[in-house]
Amino acid sequence: MNNTADVIIIGGGVNGCAAAYYLAKRGVRDVIVLEAAKSIGHGGSSRNGGGVRQSGRDVRELPYAMYGIQYMWPTLSEELGVDVEYTQKGNLRMGKTEEHIKKLQTLASNARAVGLDVKMIDKKEVKEICPYLSDEVIGASWCPTDGHANPLTTTLGYYKRALELGVRFFTEASVKELKKVKGKIRKVILADGTVFEGETVILAAGYESRAIARTVGIDIPMMRLIDEALVTEMQPPMTDVMFGCATADFYGHQTVHGSFVFGSDSGWEPTDEMIDPSNNCVDPSKLITNAFTLSASCRAIQDYIPALTDAKIVRSWCGWLDESFDGVPFLGPVDEVPGLILACGFTGHGFGTAPSVGLMLSQMVVGEPTVVDISALSYNRFLPVR
Amino acid sequence: MFDIQEKLKEIGPYIEEADDDLLVCRCEEVTKGEIRRALHQGIFTIEEMRRYLRSGMGLCQGQTCGKLVKGIIAKELHVSPVDVYPASSRAPMRPTEMRILAEDGGVCHE
Amino acid sequence: MKIERYDMIVVGAGPAGLSAAIEAAKQGLKTIVFDENERPGGQLFKQIHKFFGSKEHKAKVRGFKIGEELLEEAHRYGVEVILNATVIGLYPQKEVTVKIGEELRHYKGDAVLVATGASENMVNFEGWTLPGVIGAGAAQTMMNLHHIKPGKKVLMLGSGNVGLVVSFQLMQAGCEVVALADAAPRVGGYGVHAAKVARCGVPFYLSHTIVKAEGTDHVTGVVIGQVGADWNIIPGTEKHFDVDTICLAVGLSPMAQLLKQAEVQMADTKGGYVPVCTKDGATSVPGIYAAGDVSGIEEASSAMIEGRMSGAAIACYLGYMSEGEKNARMKELEAQLDTLRQGMFAPKNRGKLVEKTDEGIAVSMNLLENGFVADDEIERYPGVTHQKGIHPVIECTQNIPCNPCQDACPKGCIRIGKNITSLPAVEGKKECVGCGMCVASCSGQAIFLVKEDVEPGFGEVTLPYEFLPVPEVGERGLALGRDGREVCSCEVTKVSKAPAFDYTNLLTIKVPNEMLMTARFYKKA
Repeated sequence: MNNTADVIIIGGGVNGCAAAYYLAKRGVRDVIVLEAAKSIGHGGSSRNGGGVRQSGRDVRELPYAMYGIQYMWPTLSEELGVDVEYTQKGNLRMGKTEEHIKKLQTLASNARAVGLDVKMIDKKEVKEICPYLSDEVIGASWCPTDGHANPLTTTLGYYKRALELGVRFFTEASVKELKKVKGKIRKVILADGTVFEGETVILAAGYESRAIARTVGIDIPMMRLIDEALVTEMQPPMTDVMFGCATADFYGHQTVHGSFVFGSDSGWEPTDEMIDPSNNCVDPSKLITNAFTLSASCRAIQDYIPALTDAKIVRSWCGWLDESFDGVPFLGPVDEVPGLILACGFTGHGFGTAPSVGLMLSQMVVGEPTVVDISALSYNRFLPVR
Repeated sequence: MFDIQEKLKEIGPYIEEADDDLLVCRCEEVTKGEIRRALHQGIFTIEEMRRYLRSGMGLCQGQTCGKLVKGIIAKELHVSPVDVYPASSRAPMRPTEMRILAEDGGVCHE
Repeated sequence: MKIERYDMIVVGAGPAGLSAAIEAAKQGLKTIVFDENERPGGQLFKQIHKFFGSKEHKAKVRGFKIGEELLEEAHRYGVEVILNATVIGLYPQKEVTVKIGEELRHYKGDAVLVATGASENMVNFEGWTLPGVIGAGAAQTMMNLHHIKPGKKVLMLGSGNVGLVVSFQLMQAGCEVVALADAAPRVGGYGVHAAKVARCGVPFYLSHTIVKAEGTDHVTGVVIGQVGADWNIIPGTEKHFDVDTICLAVGLSPMAQLLKQAEVQMADTKGGYVPVCTKDGATSVPGIYAAGDVSGIEEASSAMIEGRMSGAAIACYLGYMSEGEKNARMKELEAQLDTLRQGMFAPKNRGKLVEKTDEGIAVSMNLLENGFVADDEIERYPGVTHQKGIHPVIECTQNIPCNPCQDACPKGCIRIGKNITSLPAVEGKKECVGCGMCVASCSGQAIFLVKEDVEPGFGEVTLPYEFLPVPEVGERGLALGRDGREVCSCEVTKVSKAPAFDYTNLLTIKVPNEMLMTARFYKKA
């Protein structure tokens, strides 16, 4: 087996798969993707709520979030040959109290300041957008260019197209260590001892990126957080907007399939059972939901969307967030380790930006300027200054 | 470590079979042919198959088709069904109305 | 918000769950049992046939009766049995969430026993989603719990005990079973179960499977065909039957989802996806136990013993029983379980062709391939003798763990001996009085009384009869052979009903002497 490639991508999630695809598309086909789990996209990529939004984002991410929505999402299904179910029908962030509305107003004016179309709407307008909402909703912020997509088919769509273009994928390939050769990144060593070698290494392994980067002396300031999600049985077509609320109790949408997917958490999720104490790493096969969260989520959701009160919940699940210190990802080359590029710390909102992030990662590999400036997301922003 | 391109080479291209239009997952209306085609595109695990085609994601939670899907995957990948890793189990074990789940004695934290 | 606490929480009020709860409650554990059904007993309440085994295993008692007895015992020891209670999650710290009525409740146990049983497997073929294609267990639920006839004309796929027992029950409910098919080359279930179906006239098609179900909005017919060595249908072997129902009895799969959710170590085996457990049911997660079909498919009789073992193990785990007491109890239970796991159908023989009985007698190939012992094979078994005067003829030809017939005979005519799986032998020296207790006690309906020369040229055969209406004395009809074909006309000369027979009526028919060893069933003319 040939274990050497031009580019090695650690992490077969949506960002890793997208990067592999955009590399292969531009002709860099000697690419290896290493995924620790048995399945591609087994982490946050398959566990998120599918939001493709700009509103609510940090100004440092907004440019590439907008780039993806303008230039990439609309044609993605066609490009991947898989229906990614991209729906651009707006994001409604709801409020029930004057306090909520004030909070939403602040967020909206911040977004408008950087050129995003977000406005405040009143109760009547909210009902026009979605008649199924509670009368207690007194207003909302509205971003008509936001939307949602299917994270499952998007991730696997990138994977499938990358495979077709010759990218090599390895599953059950858990990376333990990186190694430099002559001051440059070179070796990627698996837990089972297998060694891969590459000119460039993209580290897109979620929270696990932290332990991997530490092996070359880079400590990425991010933490681990768990969030849950649930899905209802199929409902008649009711709405195509993305929902959120001022208190961030839940977010979600009705999928093309008809089921509603919502994400939520109670804030009390214990996580000890899922962490292997011997290495303080997450066991990817263990993702244990909490006995209280599902009920708490249902209470929050039906308070806003009473029409769903009789809908049956079919499944609930959870997933890890790689929560960066300041809520935005680490994206870009690491100066101290030439050849190493970081793409992690997406803090639970990395799905919607995966196309533009994948594209920019491919640009970084070949040394081209990225479509938008992302220097503010460099890992350097946390270098000690005092 | 599992080499996906290597396995794809081993199993060769998708060849249509007479019973490809046979329904396998009746909740989500997924056929045998769709599953077989996906396998030759590199969708190898039951989890990936669920995400890609929705097989086993319906109201019965794969109770009916789980074993059938497993059999098709095993046959196509030339492995024993025992070596095809099963899907995760998710609460609620039986589909349950939102209003009932909400009624667990807890209060809204607003 | 409230979390209710118990020493032991049991999920599933079937034979394993109830037995475990009883065993634990006897030791003083505060025990609660949840079941999602409106009736307790799991599959037991659908079982209207008599069980096999020995006295300790409640042999010759009908399944639903065993369920009633278990439930009564559970109540006696203070076990709380909550019905219509669906456990929807098993979380860390042995917490279960249960849907009861219109609310969700939280419970924590110091131990949790998962005894959720199994679900029916499906096979798919053209038309398998048509209404009318149902699981055999579903058919049983319709008939025996809801008193609804699943259909008029039925084809059964599967010759394991479920397929055989349900075929018989379908006929008892008044359905016509047009054929019994199985892709395997040999009958999978007990020969005695097969024989009682075959003698009713149901043809067996081994090495056959379903090609397609016919019909547009419901089943109107079925085509089966013979499978070749490559498991494909051999062209030209297709056979059509007009049916409105196709029953599938193609195995069970453990319902172990709760255990998997609880991160118990699991193993994927030929018998399904099961928790890795010790023999007393302890899983890899301390305090979580599994018993019954969820840890591997077996008979209800084994599930009850497994349940008792888990109950004792949990009592010991929580300090309600000393290690020594537990070990003594375990020894007793293990011995009972071992008995059930002996014989030709022992787990170790699964999938193997056993050609000779323990006694060294050749197994009937006709029985394995056609469902009945051929007339020229029957004479070689020790239960089949020729004597002057009335005597039992025991057509029990396989080593299965069952011995009620031995105890049933007040005269000691029937001998099985210490080894419960030995074939019953008829002792020629003891005098049979023709009481019929052996006939009624045989769960396999394999015992007949034969008496030659009741009048010149004619003799009598007494056979077990569990159909309605019960024929009248003097009624004339047809005697059927082991293969279900008509052998001669006959007259009903006696009908015996007794409480001790437990609804197995004894029908005596008069046939020519030369038909005494052939006539085995009665059909109204």
